[in-house]
Amino acid sequence: MQRAYRTPWLVAALVMVVAGCGGGASGDGRLRLTVATFGEFGYDPLFEEYERAHPEVDVVGRVADFDSHHKGLITALAAGNGAADVVAIEEQYMPRLRQSADRFADLARFGADGLRDRWAPWKWAQGVAADGKVVLGLGTDMGGLAMCYRRDLFERAGLPTDRDQVAALWPTWEGYAEVAERFAGRVTDARFTDSVNTVYTAVLNQAEENYFAKADDSFIGATNPNVKRAFDIAGALGAKGHTAKVATFTQPWNVAINQGSFATITCPAWMLTQIKEAGGPAGAGKWDITAIPGGGGNWGGSYLAVPAQGEHQREAYRLAEWLTAPEQQKRLFVDDGILPSEPEVYRDPVVLQHKDPYFGDAPVGRLFAASSDTVRPNYRGVRDADVRPVFGRALGRVEDGAQDVGQAWEQAVREARDVLR
Amino acid sequence: MRRAPGVLASAALLLVLLGSLFPLYWSVVVASHDNAAMSARVPPLLPGGELWRNVHDVFEAVDFQAALGNSAIVAVTVTASNVLLSTLAGFAFAHLRFRGRRVLFGLVLGSVMVPAQLGVVPLFELVGELGWYGRLEAVVVPGLVSAFGVFWMRQACREAVPRELVDAARVDGCSLVRTYWHVVLPALRPHALVLAMLTFLASWNDFFWPLVVLDPVESPTVQVALAHLAGGYYTDYPLVLTGAVLGTLPVVVLFALLARKLVTGLPGGRVNP
Amino acid sequence: MSVQWDRRITPYLFVSPFFVLFAVFGLYPLLRTGWMSLHRWDLLAGPVRFTGLANYADLLTDPHFYNALANTASIFVVATVPQLAAALGIAALLDRPLRGRTAWHAVVLLPNVVPVVAVALVFTQLFGRDQGFAAWVLSWFGADPVDWQAHAWSAHLGVAIMVNWRWTGYNALLYLAAMQSVPRELHEAAALDGASRLRAFRSVTLPGIRPTLLFTVVVSAIGGLQLFAEPRLFGGGSTAGSAGGNDRQFQTLVMYLYENGFERFDAGYAATISWVLFALCAVLASVNAVLVRRLVGRG
Repeated sequence: MQRAYRTPWLVAALVMVVAGCGGGASGDGRLRLTVATFGEFGYDPLFEEYERAHPEVDVVGRVADFDSHHKGLITALAAGNGAADVVAIEEQYMPRLRQSADRFADLARFGADGLRDRWAPWKWAQGVAADGKVVLGLGTDMGGLAMCYRRDLFERAGLPTDRDQVAALWPTWEGYAEVAERFAGRVTDARFTDSVNTVYTAVLNQAEENYFAKADDSFIGATNPNVKRAFDIAGALGAKGHTAKVATFTQPWNVAINQGSFATITCPAWMLTQIKEAGGPAGAGKWDITAIPGGGGNWGGSYLAVPAQGEHQREAYRLAEWLTAPEQQKRLFVDDGILPSEPEVYRDPVVLQHKDPYFGDAPVGRLFAASSDTVRPNYRGVRDADVRPVFGRALGRVEDGAQDVGQAWEQAVREARDVLR
Repeated sequence: MRRAPGVLASAALLLVLLGSLFPLYWSVVVASHDNAAMSARVPPLLPGGELWRNVHDVFEAVDFQAALGNSAIVAVTVTASNVLLSTLAGFAFAHLRFRGRRVLFGLVLGSVMVPAQLGVVPLFELVGELGWYGRLEAVVVPGLVSAFGVFWMRQACREAVPRELVDAARVDGCSLVRTYWHVVLPALRPHALVLAMLTFLASWNDFFWPLVVLDPVESPTVQVALAHLAGGYYTDYPLVLTGAVLGTLPVVVLFALLARKLVTGLPGGRVNP
Repeated sequence: MSVQWDRRITPYLFVSPFFVLFAVFGLYPLLRTGWMSLHRWDLLAGPVRFTGLANYADLLTDPHFYNALANTASIFVVATVPQLAAALGIAALLDRPLRGRTAWHAVVLLPNVVPVVAVALVFTQLFGRDQGFAAWVLSWFGADPVDWQAHAWSAHLGVAIMVNWRWTGYNALLYLAAMQSVPRELHEAAALDGASRLRAFRSVTLPGIRPTLLFTVVVSAIGGLQLFAEPRLFGGGSTAGSAGGNDRQFQTLVMYLYENGFERFDAGYAATISWVLFALCAVLASVNAVLVRRLVGRG
């Protein structure tokens, strides 16, 4: 009974947590700036270059997937700490975060106002709050739309593989649906497109207004013909089994790309990097890119912002300003195909003539950059993020075979109204 | 009445064995193949040779080393603290007399089955105000003690520590702290070990709260890193299940070492971290 | 240190760490959740306005809430009934002289120590639509591959199987311990009366372990109310996943709480769901308290 309990490890553990939890600045006295992005921004080489030019700064990137990144950002903003010094915000989150503009540094304070002319006017406009008096974020890329397709699968289906001939197959979405039928008649071990939702989003994003009215932000999703049309086009593809039923950016989606389980995907410029990542070296040369049915459109694109909770806002701003400067945007396009949002860049001959070897030397400069001047943003309502998933799930139900397009639409409209109550 | 198993019972036992082990075996099978092999129409049934490459890839894809370290820090601290604080309070409730004892113990009983996670939103606010968002404190501190541990250690103390022993120590002029350390704790050792084991497991395996307050890139525990690995851009199941195997290995090893103690001392209840 | 002081004060020092931590991280959040539930409260912007019981009124007419409640109940039933039956069977199997007893017990308990995230990932792979083990087994019988997440029945079954795998063995060991404390004389008396084994099991063993049976049902119910990781990971990382499928067909209460609080940032509504969950837990816990007292009373 005299044998005392020997628990030095217990004390050791308590010490460990105290020591182990203290995070903070770089050990070497440099100023540590963290940059949180999602997916592929292609920033790693730029960070190194910035560090070379500013030896006093240590730039640390942290990359998460789309959902985790934005969820994490908003919870960190709510918690009042834990956000990175520079954070990426995707366009669809801008309306929501504009409501909490006070959680971000007003970049106008650091002189961002003077940079206005760098960007296409609409890109700039999406990044400001309070009628343009507050600058929330600096534009990075945009998401001009094209269509990616698998040459090998098209060949097996007896379809043309040349990109101009392919484009001629589908001047409209109705034409695209016809090609889907032809494809399904010849190829049975792959589907025509990845999911209803990528088609839906692309069609929807070709219109200027979708769920909310640009004029007064009222909900028009139930009556706006643009929404119904996109829903019907995509829904019909799903109902007929032309989709591989893989939700974008999920595990099965990656697997499907890797294994060539679908033949086409609507691709905004930033999607190219995702396809390369998922397809790996083995996928090189199998894909090609051509024009999207129904003419251009914009899907996505991001901003860099500086949370107000950061301790080094001025330094963070300088980094964000440099990362979004024309010089860097140009490099990002040439190296990674990330579409610039600045006219000076997308009109640059080097950019316009750029080709992407992974996609069979597709003229990405001509396909994406050349159409940038005609890209029109779509208006996003303040409560866009509440409504969008409702319609997305409705199309998922069609794809699951649980409902027909009409039932799914009715339920979506009802749920959207409920959610906005 | 208690006979050796017949043919039918042996078959049933075999089925139990298979059922228990198959999912674990299967994760090793998946983890040791590449994606192409796993997507064949007939999946491979035996382990392959890609395990090391997959392990390597997991460490490339997420900072698994940091995740393992974080989980270890969290689980060890939470375990140590739970054992210490639960046995202390359990001892007090079992053998010491003090005013308000009944009411206080009623409070413990009342909160045994109510998980603190239901207060998740304000808890989240609190963590934010304390500046702990994205840091391990956010997971460690709220888990330092559990009502269940206190409740169970009180029971254990009543069974394993005779009141006469406590009284004898008192007569000898032993202070309560010394009595606790030299008499109570050694006697509670078997129970404390099971409590430690269960707390460690619950803490290592906890998912909901770490998912809310930790950053999947900057400060993940193993579970958060695994969810991130599975939800991210990374391509294959073998990779994800390799992560699952790596995250399971530490607890299985610990279990193998302590199983004998654990299976005989299982309490009726679940530990909520 | 005076003896008197030690007698009087030290007990409080012993129990105070628990109560301090409980007050800060248990009680306070719970009370504040109640307060938040009376407001329209944005996770980012904080309190918008006091709304009284409006959130509760909304919740009571919210079809998604009832849907989540029904799913939670359905998964609980699909998970618990076979689980406890199997646990009883396994306990009966183990309640006899066996070689390598401890090893058997360990094998049975092993699934319980596997992290729930790992369990969810393995089973989600097993139940993959296109490349899963289950799909392959089904193909032996000429059955079409099942899209497990797409239908309520299959998703509930899938989630329930995960829960069962983790908890059957644990409950089996609890039953076994209870069975072994049933007095031997009762068994012997039954044997003398010429009762069959099945009959002896029904009339001696089952009544003997009834408190444990009830107890495990309640504990499983409280665990079932908090079900989150399994269904959430079962749905994958897609938008549909966090809602528990395209028709919310496997969204549980805690998933709905999470969706409102941390995806739609409606903290007030999430707090309301929390309180309702809390009330449900409290009911179950008081049932449990009675049972615990009986169990403990038996020594």
